[in-house]
Amino acid sequence: MPVELKLPVHLRRARWKVKILEKETREPPHVSILRGTDKWRINLRTGEFMDRRPKPSDVRQELLDLIQGNWRWLCEQWDAKYPDNPVEGSEE
Amino acid sequence: MPTKAATSQTFLLSKRRRSVHWFAPLRPKLVSSIKRVREVVAQADNHSLWISDEKSLTDTLLNTLASHPGSLGKIVLLYQPTLASIPVLARYFRHVVFGREKGFLPPVELAEVLAAPHKADLFIGGIVDDDAKTLTLWRGDLTTLTVPFTAFPPSGDGIIPDYSAFAVIDYGHTVQLGAYEAATEALLYEYDPRYRRRIARERRKEDRSFGAALRRLRKQRGVKRSDFGLLSAKTIARIEQGKVDQYHLRPRTLGIIAKRLAVEPGNIETY
Repeated sequence: MPVELKLPVHLRRARWKVKILEKETREPPHVSILRGTDKWRINLRTGEFMDRRPKPSDVRQELLDLIQGNWRWLCEQWDAKYPDNPVEGSEE
Repeated sequence: MPTKAATSQTFLLSKRRRSVHWFAPLRPKLVSSIKRVREVVAQADNHSLWISDEKSLTDTLLNTLASHPGSLGKIVLLYQPTLASIPVLARYFRHVVFGREKGFLPPVELAEVLAAPHKADLFIGGIVDDDAKTLTLWRGDLTTLTVPFTAFPPSGDGIIPDYSAFAVIDYGHTVQLGAYEAATEALLYEYDPRYRRRIARERRKEDRSFGAALRRLRKQRGVKRSDFGLLSAKTIARIEQGKVDQYHLRPRTLGIIAKRLAVEPGNIETY
């Protein structure tokens, strides 16, 4: 099944989605936050937003708290999908 | 990516009155009769956008255009046109995209993508060719991107693409092949060199990561990746590309890099 964080109804109605998508092999481990035509990415290694645009401040704090609360699960899902690029990356 | 030539006006060929609401972000002119088709042709130009879910109205449009000298912009057909009409459509429209309605985003999402400033970076639909084993995707600016089935390798968790269950979802961010959901961005990055160059340029400019700072500093110093003595060029590349976290770097590694670039280790990320 696709990896999608389960969100409360009001966030879903507001069109928010949090997913780990396929084919992201060239990117550092991350989750994608989707809302309409906007997309944000949060690096699972550093916890930082990967792009300046759209503005990270446009993402609801409630959603960020949910991601934070499910961090371990999201990392596990990423590692299962991308075993060659795990969250706990090594230097060499 | 903002589109250079904005759409001048949108014509919606439909007999469904509700469709005007679906496509509201585009402020379309509803064209629901043969008479109206003939009227609006005179208002159209090379930057017009046409959306049709009604074959009979499109046929009337093509018939009306028979002696028209120029291009009437771009057209989206939310149905499968006949083979014979494709050359005619290609004659009068700069871009023609078509397919079964299920092959497109739902109308509300479609309208939002078509109205978005970065519409070229999102998909609106596509067609699967099982014989050629390719997937042709329509972008929001109505250009195309064709990718082979091999673009969708099985996922590490065992999910494989199901091409019979193709859909574009999430406002064009995602290509769905059953349980397999591929990122639009990743497909564009892999198969569109112009997109790849632009994104790489933007990311280098915006990236505040340690790797990006290291790259900027190294370039500033005129140092090659192969100039770090005990550290291989490959290792430097991996650090710059963010494949190695700053916090996983050994102090000795960081020391070699800092010494070669003549900075304090802690100052690298300030560049």
